Amino acid sequence: MFYREAGAFKTNYAADMALYPLPITRWAVVATAVLFIVIAPMFFGEYVVSLLNLILIAVVGALGLNILVGYSGQISIGHGAFMSVGAYTAAHLVVALHLPFWVTIPAGGIMAALVGLVVGIPSLRVKGIYLCISTLAAQLIIEWTINHVQWISGGVQASIQIPRPSVFGVALVHERQIYLFLLAFAIIAIVATQNLVRSRIGRAFIAIRDQDIAAEIIGINIFRYKLYAFAISSFYAGVAGALESYYLGIANYEQFQIDVSIDYLAMVIIGGLGSVLGSVFGAVFVTLLPVVTRIVLDSAGRVFFSYSDLLSLVPNLRLVMFGGLIIFFLVVEPDGLNRLWGNIRNYFRMWPFSY
Amino acid sequence: MGGFDWGFTFVLVVNGVMVGLMYALIALGFVLICKATDVINFAQGEFVMFAAFIAAGVAGAGLNFWVAALVSIIGMVALGFGLERVVLRPLIGRGIIAVVMATIGLAAVLRGVAVLIFGPDTRAITMPVGDMPINLGIVSVPPAQLAGAVVSIIFLAVFSWFFLKSRVGVAMRAVADSQQVAMAMGINVRRYFALAWAMAGVVSAIGGVVWGAMLGVDNQIALVGLKVFPVVILGGLDSIVGAIVGGLIIGVVENLAAGYFDPVVGGGTKDFAPYLVMLIVLMIRPEGMFGRRRIERV
Amino acid sequence: MTSLSRTWLGLAAGATLLALAGTASAQQKEIVIGDQCDRTGPTQIVGTTLCPAMQDYYKLVNFQGGLDGWKIRGDEIDNQYKVPQGIEAYERQKQMGVVMMTLYGTPQTVALNERLEQDHMPTTSPGFGISAAADGTRYPYLFPIAATYWSQAAGAVKFAKDKLGGSLKGKKIAYVYYDNPAGKEPIVILDALQKIEGFQMRTFAVPPPGVELGAQILDITQRFHPDFVIAHLFGRSPSVLIKGLRGAGYPLSHVVGLVWASAEADIAAAGGWGVAEGYNTMQFAGAGDNYPVRQAIKAMYKKEGQNPPDTMKNTVIYNRGVFQAAIQIEAIKNALKISGGKKPTGEQVKAGLEQIHNFTLGGLVPPLQITAADHEGGGWVRIFQVHGGKFVPATGWYRAYRDVVEHAVKTAE
Repeated sequence: MFYREAGAFKTNYAADMALYPLPITRWAVVATAVLFIVIAPMFFGEYVVSLLNLILIAVVGALGLNILVGYSGQISIGHGAFMSVGAYTAAHLVVALHLPFWVTIPAGGIMAALVGLVVGIPSLRVKGIYLCISTLAAQLIIEWTINHVQWISGGVQASIQIPRPSVFGVALVHERQIYLFLLAFAIIAIVATQNLVRSRIGRAFIAIRDQDIAAEIIGINIFRYKLYAFAISSFYAGVAGALESYYLGIANYEQFQIDVSIDYLAMVIIGGLGSVLGSVFGAVFVTLLPVVTRIVLDSAGRVFFSYSDLLSLVPNLRLVMFGGLIIFFLVVEPDGLNRLWGNIRNYFRMWPFSY
Repeated sequence: MGGFDWGFTFVLVVNGVMVGLMYALIALGFVLICKATDVINFAQGEFVMFAAFIAAGVAGAGLNFWVAALVSIIGMVALGFGLERVVLRPLIGRGIIAVVMATIGLAAVLRGVAVLIFGPDTRAITMPVGDMPINLGIVSVPPAQLAGAVVSIIFLAVFSWFFLKSRVGVAMRAVADSQQVAMAMGINVRRYFALAWAMAGVVSAIGGVVWGAMLGVDNQIALVGLKVFPVVILGGLDSIVGAIVGGLIIGVVENLAAGYFDPVVGGGTKDFAPYLVMLIVLMIRPEGMFGRRRIERV
Repeated sequence: MTSLSRTWLGLAAGATLLALAGTASAQQKEIVIGDQCDRTGPTQIVGTTLCPAMQDYYKLVNFQGGLDGWKIRGDEIDNQYKVPQGIEAYERQKQMGVVMMTLYGTPQTVALNERLEQDHMPTTSPGFGISAAADGTRYPYLFPIAATYWSQAAGAVKFAKDKLGGSLKGKKIAYVYYDNPAGKEPIVILDALQKIEGFQMRTFAVPPPGVELGAQILDITQRFHPDFVIAHLFGRSPSVLIKGLRGAGYPLSHVVGLVWASAEADIAAAGGWGVAEGYNTMQFAGAGDNYPVRQAIKAMYKKEGQNPPDTMKNTVIYNRGVFQAAIQIEAIKNALKISGGKKPTGEQVKAGLEQIHNFTLGGLVPPLQITAADHEGGGWVRIFQVHGGKFVPATGWYRAYRDVVEHAVKTAE
């Protein structure tokens, strides 16, 4: 109803190629930004802000995985491991060299990207299930290495404490402060991805995903771009891992194990493969799913069950719902939440003349 | 620490073979599905776990071991049929990511449902074989493990025969080879898909009962599923012989790694070594030792 | 009727009555405690007994009239042994206004440690978490309350020494551990004791999930031939070790399992009491049924016309849950004295925890003495041996090599 495409004329190529070509989209983006930057931290309680923080970290990681899985058509069950590489790199740089976050976080990303390049090498030789399993192997091998190499893990506990990041001399201690910090990174990640997928590299990824032979014929170097995909995806993962470590104040590999990789895969599938907005939706959905199911089941179930019975039912029902929803989306709505959103939007776009 | 020792190595290998046979049996369930329907089942471990829960539940109700095993087999066949119909059939023809994710989702569902039905307690399945170690020359072996190995050999043999000689087995191979040609020859492809899942159910049930008897039953035994991948990659995703040989090799590699690498690197290499072997095989011969070579663009 | 069908019934009807539910909770004076649990993750075998036991104890406290007119409510959140879920649970319970928390899982404790200090949230991490947190001056809001892994390792060596005739000189000890940070934590103490006592130690790593230990068992029994085995295992692996060592003919009376390798479930999964005969288990709360508090809980259920829950049969883990909850309640009781009957603050509960001593709950709790400097309460352990189908006390409450442990705590990074 508000989404009007008519009447927006472009007079030069730059305008046509803009990231948000329609005035209405620009307004929507600005409004969303204001909502999240100004209004959200003012009105939400600390708990809600802490949930938003977890979501923002997940957004960065999910965008990275979507570049690999959704845009390039490769598959990886090793995303969690790349996050841990970023986390430990950043932690060491902070602790040993006292570098500020704007050095350590990109450095974590770069280190993860380098490791991602190595892990991506099998993709030149195998694909599909084989690639999937070789990334699983990478996950296990990276976990093992961190656990056993003391100069990486920083000791038996395999955890390195990190001081909170500080901006202009202010240490970001409170949830609301760190929220803006994480939000900045999430926005950069979103905008960077939106630009990346329209660039030469992004189009090459999509070409490889859709038809690799055709892509090769039109002059795309498949090997190189596959490795790019792994490196870029791992870069995001490394940044997300470093962000999580800053958020928690600690880098610990046990928080990046295989179930994390699976959660991220669930995000991009439920959100929508090959879609930036879908990655965001997926991150929100998978992060909130356990919380919302618990709160709803808790209060609804209390009518019928004693609290102690409920405590044993809810966690297992939640597990069933998590798995069930993944299957549901795959079978019923393969394009994920992004498609659902698209349907709603299209309905209102035509409103009231929808047919 | 400690040099090379033939006696010790020998017992490690024997132990590796015993365990490897178990891995082979569990991997067989995976291979059956992969061979006939091209589905990669990430929930194989959970299948085994679910079967073990059924058997332990029935045995816990006071019925004897054989009844429990039978009920478990029937239950798993039904589950296999059901899942094929509800989850996997709608995904036929979709990409590998969709199928992998669906089975990962399935794994979560099975874990939750198993605990909701059977409760979280650890249960025991007792095989009617006693518990005094059986002495085989230099090594002595727990009887449950020996029984497990024997059961594995029997079932691996039965399924090899089934695929090579029986009419249904040949039809399934035909389906696996080319669904279109199989259809043209009058084979009901869907029926064989369902059959493959049901057969995987049978194998998982046997695996679950034996594995559950060796370890006790709770949701942790699903983790054996992670062992399946090195085995099948090594042997070949669609080869029964491959599952057997892969299982044996992985079992032996694990044991030798634990016996000889662990003291050197100061950490557990048992779960890590198989994946390393697997990666090497992947780079050299992706289709595995016995897998069907497919010419594929990468 | 299975719990599944009951669940669906509950869900269907529950959704319609959602609005009513919010008002159902009583508007009484209430003190809320925040507990995390793992009921679906890798350690659910512990969580599904431990956490109900804590709820039972709160129920008992309320049944007996509460604390100074306050009712106690334990809010529990399942963190699935995942860190983000642990953070979420922490923030949610903090928002609820809980006066104290009990965490679940070492990684979660490590990750939340900094927040505890920032928010002044007194928190217990019994039997897991960071060993160095015994030092209350460096970790002011984290309370291990039970013997840390370091104290457990020291206790195990002392037990081995007594068993082997009072000297460990020239003896061989095998340390079998779960190959994760928690499993590796005691090694530093064992290394130090190795030098002091003159024994020879070899470590045997069990990589997670540790469901197959054939090679390690062969290595222990056929190559190393230790005089004693100390097992620090989790999940499924303790039962596999017990079964394997027994199969190899190793005397289980020369094996001691640290606290997470020491429950009835481990014995059951190993094949029953007969198989595990002789196995020594280390406890930080008393095992068995013979404690007044257990009888009180049973009586409470009986009065309500219910049978005591099945979880009570797992006495080891159940009693630990009771132990954890009892320490919480004791701390709040102390805090209420400080606050003069008002709802206590975080600082007051911390002070309440630091006053706990001579609180033994009829022998279920060791003679803890928690102080501002010592948040571990002394590092007491007790060995129970599997004998004739039950756990029989093999020692009294004891602690060992405090100088070594304290040195490690002081010098920890």
